[in-house]
Amino acid sequence: MSKEEIIAELKTIIKPYSEETLALENIDENTDFITDLKINSANLVDIVLDIEEKFKIEIDNDSMAKMLTVKATVEVIESKLQTNVGE
Amino acid sequence: MLGNDIVDLTLAKVQSNWKRKGFLEKIFTYDEQLCILKSKNPYLKVWLLWSMKEAAYKIHNRKTGIRNFAPKSLSCTIHSNAYGEVNIEGSTYYTKSDLQTTFIHSIASPNCSMLEEIKISIYEAPDNLFDYKSTKPGCVSHHGRYLALVYLL
Repeated sequence: MSKEEIIAELKTIIKPYSEETLALENIDENTDFITDLKINSANLVDIVLDIEEKFKIEIDNDSMAKMLTVKATVEVIESKLQTNVGE
Repeated sequence: MLGNDIVDLTLAKVQSNWKRKGFLEKIFTYDEQLCILKSKNPYLKVWLLWSMKEAAYKIHNRKTGIRNFAPKSLSCTIHSNAYGEVNIEGSTYYTKSDLQTTFIHSIASPNCSMLEEIKISIYEAPDNLFDYKSTKPGCVSHHGRYLALVYLL
Protein backbone atom coordinates (compact mmCIF):
# COMPACT_ATOMS: atom_id res chain seq x y z
CA MET A 1 0.00 0.00 0.00
CA SER A 2 1.48 3.35 -1.03
CA LYS A 3 1.67 6.39 1.21
CA GLU A 4 -0.94 8.13 -0.96
CA GLU A 5 -3.33 5.19 -0.59
CA ILE A 6 -2.87 5.23 3.18
CA ILE A 7 -3.55 8.99 3.32
CA ALA A 8 -6.68 8.53 1.17
CA GLU A 9 -7.97 5.85 3.57
CA LEU A 10 -7.12 8.08 6.53
CA LYS A 11 -9.10 10.93 5.03
CA THR A 12 -12.22 8.73 4.90
CA ILE A 13 -11.68 7.59 8.49
CA ILE A 14 -11.16 11.12 9.83
CA LYS A 15 -14.06 12.75 8.00
CA PRO A 16 -16.81 12.07 10.58
CA TYR A 17 -14.66 13.57 13.37
CA SER A 18 -13.70 16.89 11.79
CA GLU A 19 -15.78 19.87 10.80
CA GLU A 20 -12.82 21.58 9.16
CA THR A 21 -13.84 20.63 5.63
CA LEU A 22 -11.23 22.80 3.92
CA ALA A 23 -8.34 21.46 6.00
CA LEU A 24 -9.65 17.93 5.47
CA GLU A 25 -9.89 18.48 1.72
CA ASN A 26 -6.27 19.65 1.64
CA ILE A 27 -4.97 16.96 3.96
CA ASP A 28 -1.30 16.12 3.57
CA GLU A 29 1.56 14.74 5.65
CA ASN A 30 1.88 17.94 7.66
CA THR A 31 -1.76 18.05 8.74
CA ASP A 32 -2.16 18.03 12.51
CA PHE A 33 -5.27 16.32 13.90
CA ILE A 34 -5.79 18.77 16.72
CA THR A 35 -4.49 22.14 15.51
CA ASP A 36 -5.57 21.81 11.85
CA LEU A 37 -8.54 19.44 11.89
CA LYS A 38 -9.78 20.51 15.37
CA ILE A 39 -10.51 16.92 16.31
CA ASN A 40 -11.71 16.42 19.84
CA SER A 41 -9.03 14.48 21.74
CA ALA A 42 -11.48 11.76 22.86
CA ASN A 43 -12.22 11.15 19.17
CA LEU A 44 -8.52 10.50 18.54
CA VAL A 45 -9.15 7.18 20.26
CA ASP A 46 -11.96 6.45 17.79
CA ILE A 47 -9.64 7.25 14.91
CA VAL A 48 -7.01 4.86 16.31
CA LEU A 49 -9.68 2.14 16.71
CA ASP A 50 -10.99 2.79 13.18
CA ILE A 51 -7.44 2.51 11.82
CA GLU A 52 -6.95 -0.80 13.63
CA GLU A 53 -10.14 -2.16 12.06
CA LYS A 54 -9.57 -0.79 8.59
CA PHE A 55 -5.94 -1.84 8.23
CA LYS A 56 -6.27 -4.96 10.42
CA ILE A 57 -3.36 -3.91 12.62
CA GLU A 58 -2.87 -3.54 16.35
CA ILE A 59 -1.66 -0.20 17.63
CA ASP A 60 0.23 -0.27 20.93
CA ASN A 61 0.20 2.66 23.38
CA ASP A 62 3.67 3.89 22.43
CA SER A 63 2.66 4.10 18.78
CA MET A 64 -0.66 5.76 19.61
CA ALA A 65 1.23 8.40 21.61
CA LYS A 66 2.83 9.66 18.37
CA MET A 67 -0.37 9.78 16.32
CA LEU A 68 -1.08 13.53 16.34
CA THR A 69 -0.18 14.21 12.73
CA VAL A 70 -0.87 12.52 9.41
CA LYS A 71 2.87 11.94 8.92
CA ALA A 72 3.34 10.13 12.24
CA THR A 73 0.14 8.13 11.70
CA VAL A 74 1.19 6.99 8.23
CA GLU A 75 4.55 5.90 9.67
CA VAL A 76 2.83 3.87 12.39
CA ILE A 77 0.49 2.23 9.86
CA GLU A 78 3.36 1.44 7.46
CA SER A 79 5.45 -0.13 10.19
CA LYS A 80 2.54 -2.25 11.51
CA LEU A 81 1.61 -3.40 8.01
CA GLN A 82 5.24 -4.40 7.55
CA THR A 83 5.10 -6.47 10.75
CA ASN A 84 1.93 -8.20 9.53
CA VAL A 85 3.66 -9.20 6.29
CA GLY A 86 6.55 -10.67 8.26
CA GLU A 87 4.26 -12.96 10.25
CA MET B 1 1.00 26.36 36.25
CA LEU B 2 -2.67 25.57 35.91
CA GLY B 3 -4.65 23.08 33.89
CA ASN B 4 -8.35 22.70 33.25
CA ASP B 5 -10.73 20.71 31.10
CA ILE B 6 -14.44 20.92 30.50
CA VAL B 7 -16.66 18.17 29.09
CA ASP B 8 -20.06 19.11 27.68
CA LEU B 9 -21.95 15.97 28.71
CA THR B 10 -24.68 16.42 26.11
CA LEU B 11 -22.10 16.60 23.33
CA ALA B 12 -19.96 13.78 24.78
CA LYS B 13 -22.98 11.52 24.62
CA VAL B 14 -23.28 11.91 20.84
CA GLN B 15 -19.60 12.47 20.06
CA SER B 16 -18.15 9.39 21.76
CA ASN B 17 -19.32 5.87 22.47
CA TRP B 18 -17.42 4.78 25.57
CA LYS B 19 -18.86 1.28 25.20
CA ARG B 20 -17.11 0.81 21.89
CA LYS B 21 -14.78 -2.19 21.93
CA GLY B 22 -11.26 -1.11 22.84
CA PHE B 23 -12.21 2.44 23.86
CA LEU B 24 -11.73 2.05 27.61
CA GLU B 25 -8.60 -0.09 27.17
CA LYS B 26 -6.86 2.57 25.09
CA ILE B 27 -7.55 5.40 27.53
CA PHE B 28 -7.74 4.02 31.03
CA THR B 29 -5.43 2.04 33.30
CA TYR B 30 -6.64 -1.29 34.64
CA ASP B 31 -7.62 0.28 37.98
CA GLU B 32 -9.50 3.10 36.25
CA GLN B 33 -11.41 0.61 34.10
CA LEU B 34 -12.42 -1.27 37.25
CA CYS B 35 -13.52 1.98 38.86
CA ILE B 36 -15.65 2.81 35.79
CA LEU B 37 -17.23 -0.62 35.47
CA LYS B 38 -18.04 -0.83 39.20
CA SER B 39 -19.57 2.64 39.21
CA LYS B 40 -23.32 3.24 39.43
CA ASN B 41 -22.94 5.73 36.62
CA PRO B 42 -20.08 4.52 34.40
CA TYR B 43 -20.74 7.21 31.79
CA LEU B 44 -20.10 10.03 34.28
CA LYS B 45 -17.04 8.25 35.66
CA VAL B 46 -15.56 7.97 32.14
CA TRP B 47 -15.82 11.72 31.63
CA LEU B 48 -14.73 12.63 35.15
CA LEU B 49 -11.52 10.59 34.74
CA TRP B 50 -11.04 11.93 31.22
CA SER B 51 -11.31 15.56 32.34
CA MET B 52 -8.82 14.90 35.17
CA LYS B 53 -6.34 13.42 32.69
CA GLU B 54 -6.77 16.29 30.23
CA ALA B 55 -6.39 18.96 32.91
CA ALA B 56 -3.19 17.30 34.21
CA TYR B 57 -1.84 16.75 30.69
CA LYS B 58 -2.15 20.46 29.93
CA ILE B 59 0.33 21.23 32.73
CA HIS B 60 2.60 18.26 32.06
CA ASN B 61 2.81 19.07 28.36
CA ARG B 62 3.89 22.66 29.07
CA LYS B 63 6.38 21.47 31.70
CA THR B 64 8.07 18.84 29.53
CA GLY B 65 7.52 20.47 26.14
CA ILE B 66 6.48 17.04 24.87
CA ARG B 67 3.25 16.77 22.95
CA ASN B 68 1.83 13.27 22.67
CA PHE B 69 -1.36 11.28 22.98
CA ALA B 70 -0.87 8.83 25.82
CA PRO B 71 -3.96 9.03 28.02
CA LYS B 72 -3.15 5.72 29.68
CA SER B 73 0.17 7.04 30.99
CA LEU B 74 -1.79 9.51 33.16
CA SER B 75 -2.96 7.51 36.13
CA CYS B 76 -5.88 8.91 38.17
CA THR B 77 -6.89 8.41 41.77
CA ILE B 78 -10.17 9.82 42.98
CA HIS B 79 -10.23 10.99 46.59
CA SER B 80 -13.27 12.31 48.43
CA ASN B 81 -15.30 15.44 47.66
CA ALA B 82 -14.35 15.56 44.00
CA TYR B 83 -10.63 15.89 44.78
CA GLY B 84 -8.19 13.63 43.02
CA GLU B 85 -4.67 13.26 41.72
CA VAL B 86 -3.07 12.29 38.45
CA ASN B 87 0.38 10.69 38.29
CA ILE B 88 2.60 10.66 35.24
CA GLU B 89 6.30 9.80 34.97
CA GLY B 90 7.00 10.66 38.62
CA SER B 91 5.03 13.93 38.58
CA THR B 92 1.84 14.38 40.58
CA TYR B 93 -0.91 16.82 39.68
CA TYR B 94 -3.74 17.49 42.09
CA THR B 95 -7.24 17.91 40.75
CA LYS B 96 -10.61 19.17 41.82
CA SER B 97 -13.72 18.53 39.74
CA ASP B 98 -17.14 20.07 39.48
CA LEU B 99 -19.84 17.63 38.40
CA GLN B 100 -22.97 19.28 37.09
CA THR B 101 -25.87 17.73 35.20
CA THR B 102 -24.76 19.18 31.86
CA PHE B 103 -20.97 19.41 32.26
CA ILE B 104 -17.92 18.22 34.18
CA HIS B 105 -15.08 20.63 34.80
CA SER B 106 -11.73 19.69 36.33
CA ILE B 107 -8.88 21.91 37.42
CA ALA B 108 -5.32 20.72 38.04
CA SER B 109 -2.26 22.07 39.79
CA PRO B 110 1.14 20.64 40.75
CA ASN B 111 0.51 22.09 44.22
CA CYS B 112 -2.45 20.79 46.22
CA SER B 113 -3.10 23.98 48.21
CA MET B 114 -3.10 26.04 45.01
CA LEU B 115 -6.39 24.40 44.01
CA GLU B 116 -8.15 26.74 46.43
CA GLU B 117 -6.57 29.79 44.81
CA ILE B 118 -7.95 29.22 41.35
CA LYS B 119 -10.70 31.41 39.99
CA ILE B 120 -12.97 29.56 37.56
CA SER B 121 -15.20 31.22 34.94
CA ILE B 122 -17.52 29.04 32.89
CA TYR B 123 -19.49 30.47 29.97
CA GLU B 124 -22.29 28.74 28.13
CA ALA B 125 -23.26 29.49 24.50
CA PRO B 126 -24.02 32.09 23.24
CA ASP B 127 -22.00 33.86 25.97
CA ASN B 128 -18.86 31.88 25.14
CA LEU B 129 -17.87 34.03 22.17
CA PHE B 130 -15.76 36.95 23.28
CA ASP B 131 -12.15 37.99 23.35
CA TYR B 132 -11.26 35.85 26.35
CA LYS B 133 -7.53 35.91 25.52
CA SER B 134 -7.35 39.52 26.66
CA THR B 135 -8.37 38.35 30.14
CA LYS B 136 -5.11 36.37 30.27
CA PRO B 137 -6.41 33.06 31.61
CA GLY B 138 -3.95 30.51 33.04
CA CYS B 139 -5.61 27.77 31.00
CA VAL B 140 -8.53 27.51 28.58
CA SER B 141 -10.85 24.65 27.70
CA HIS B 142 -13.66 24.55 25.13
CA HIS B 143 -16.10 21.77 24.49
CA GLY B 144 -19.52 21.97 22.89
CA ARG B 145 -21.55 24.78 24.42
CA TYR B 146 -18.95 25.57 27.06
CA LEU B 147 -15.89 27.70 27.52
CA ALA B 148 -14.00 27.36 30.80
CA LEU B 149 -11.29 29.78 31.89
CA VAL B 150 -9.12 29.51 34.98
CA TYR B 151 -6.99 32.18 36.66
CA LEU B 152 -4.56 32.04 39.55
CA LEU B 153 -5.75 34.50 42.16
